[in-house]
Amino acid sequence: MNVLYHNDVTLRERVAECLQDDFKHKAIETAQEVFYAKRGALVEEMGEGWQELRLRATEIRNHVTENLDYYVKLFAENAEANGYIMHYAPTDQDALADVIDIFEKHQAQTTVKSKSMMTEEVGLNEVLEEAGYTVVETDCAECILQKAESKPSHIVVPALHFDRDAICDIFTEKCGYEGTSVPEELTHFLRRYLRPEFLNADIGIRGCNFAVAATGSPTLITNEGNGRMVDSVPKVQIIFVGIDRIVPDLQSLDVMEALVPRSAVGSKMTAYFSVDSGPAHADEVDGPVEAHIILMDNGRSRILKTEFEPMFRCMRCGACLNICPVYRHITGHGYGSIYPGPMGVVMTPNLVGYDEIDTMVFACSLCGACSDHCPATIPLHDLIRAHRIEIVDEGKNHSNEVPVFKLLRKMWSDVGFYKFAMSAGGPMMRLFADSSKGALTVNSTWMPVVKGWTSTRDFDVLSKDRFRTWFKNHKPLAAETPVQENQGTEGGDA
Amino acid sequence: MAVGNKTLQDLLGPISKQMGHTAVAENVELPEWEHVPWRCTDGMNQQQLVDKFIEEAGKIGITIVRTPAADIAKAVAGIIQEGVPEAPASCTVVAANDERFAAAGLYDTVSGLGNVSELTVWDNTKGQANVDAAEKATYGITYAVGGIADTATIVQPSGPNCGRTTSLLPLVHIALVDAATIKPIMQDVMKDIEAQGGQLPSSICFISGPSATADIELVRVQGVHGPMYIYYVLVD
Repeated sequence: MNVLYHNDVTLRERVAECLQDDFKHKAIETAQEVFYAKRGALVEEMGEGWQELRLRATEIRNHVTENLDYYVKLFAENAEANGYIMHYAPTDQDALADVIDIFEKHQAQTTVKSKSMMTEEVGLNEVLEEAGYTVVETDCAECILQKAESKPSHIVVPALHFDRDAICDIFTEKCGYEGTSVPEELTHFLRRYLRPEFLNADIGIRGCNFAVAATGSPTLITNEGNGRMVDSVPKVQIIFVGIDRIVPDLQSLDVMEALVPRSAVGSKMTAYFSVDSGPAHADEVDGPVEAHIILMDNGRSRILKTEFEPMFRCMRCGACLNICPVYRHITGHGYGSIYPGPMGVVMTPNLVGYDEIDTMVFACSLCGACSDHCPATIPLHDLIRAHRIEIVDEGKNHSNEVPVFKLLRKMWSDVGFYKFAMSAGGPMMRLFADSSKGALTVNSTWMPVVKGWTSTRDFDVLSKDRFRTWFKNHKPLAAETPVQENQGTEGGDA
Repeated sequence: MAVGNKTLQDLLGPISKQMGHTAVAENVELPEWEHVPWRCTDGMNQQQLVDKFIEEAGKIGITIVRTPAADIAKAVAGIIQEGVPEAPASCTVVAANDERFAAAGLYDTVSGLGNVSELTVWDNTKGQANVDAAEKATYGITYAVGGIADTATIVQPSGPNCGRTTSLLPLVHIALVDAATIKPIMQDVMKDIEAQGGQLPSSICFISGPSATADIELVRVQGVHGPMYIYYVLVD
């Protein structure tokens, strides 16, 4: 499993590092705003149809999940009937072993890849490179990341954290580029640079957005055309398909395609959407002669029949990243998972468990914007909360929390103690406060817990009186007659 | 347990077990879907669908040329004569092998153009030579089997007379599409494909515009690995 990275430091340290990177920050902010505006315009255009589309997608995906073993089998059998050579991978290690076998059988040397999160998840590039094969990432952003030896900061636009000058430097140093940092020139250079790689590669490796069970067809959504190149030119092709990619029939693709590009980048449609059904037929001259499907579970089935089952609806569009206020600040690299943002916070522990993820599930304010944006109506923030509850139930929460909560329980279950604690708060704070400001200031950062607040802003001291005491002694002034609520308005319509 | 070479049963076993199933169901019927989303093409007649198709094409960098069926050769020749900035003075063309092209005299017209040095008509008996021609070609000409009004999409299957690379490797893709085949949304196209039954083409590509990326600072750039320009010749 290669889901986690940069875990030699704590989440807190990773986040601190990301917060210092102004460019990365700004890039994510811009991306969120651009996608937000474009998506918003398209959603508005669809009126109530949008909500109905989300609900239809939810229905379709739930139906498949409720009958998952049936649909996995149906897809596998129909894909095999189409001529695909099927490989079944309960784990990442099974998938990797099968891929290496295919490379050995063909004595392959080079492979071109189009973007696939599943191959990131199993660490395919590292394994192939270690075995001596040349792996060429062909998605523009993935190619930049590969040359820079960096990790994706977004699941749809993974190289957001590099600006044009940085990319220009990378291409100049690693690919012999001699042009300027104008995006158009950089992109057109990549067209010339990668064309021979496509034409000479022994094997093409790609992912699959949706797998159609009724027809045994993997599909691929791309804009750049690199996916189509991988799909059309090399004579051998390997397709990674997750068991959570299945839709029942071709008609379901309409609903998914209406939702995914709009949710992902605010486009109505991507430039290409390929529906493949087997290797090239005998009378065709291009397309793969031999096509393999790696159908992989790798921990996905563990969440079936649990509260996390709705994650089977996830389409990997990135809409939840594009709206998340936490992602906006700590950026994709703060999470330390190839799946960042809300979907990543839910999915990462599902795949790798709670032991390695540090405090990732707490990197969320539970605002719920992600759930509202999700095209498959996954209640992401509820699932994040469910992870937190589970972590506490398993006793894996922070060791300081136990005595603190014990003390709080005592306080709220003992009237005398409660009254004492409430009246002691103000005077206690005053002892440490900056008297000129009447607040705990930056000078109080030596205090544990409190410093989380006071290192960036003042904490006003509590009033001497409790509210209840004040209320009991308070006499209304004659002028303070109650005002009738909502007078002259039509009431709230929120 | 050894890794790799697992069976379908190895994959299905844990899934069924987790679901509490003792066996995989023999058959599962699709339910009646409760939600039927409204789509912007609902209620449009064919003329309105064609208008919508043209309107949407304009938003995503597609050039539309309309022509009666008798004049498709002239329409395609016009596009190639006008050219694109990146086209060399003398260029090559690859075209699908289509009876309608032959009947309209398109092959003769195109190969007779002053700026065309060579025309390759897709011929599956010549194998890789077709792909090599497509790789060199400035223009690739195909006849799409249908269109989708909602997204200005064309439906391009692969087959013995038109490869996957015909519409992919050239700098410019010229796609002919019959106005009568334009459907409201993708679902209508999928319904037709399902109704036809039989073996599906090895690849059906839904194409909506030139190849593009916004991976560098979100600046949209046309022409990454596929065509930089795309023309739809809308045949009435």
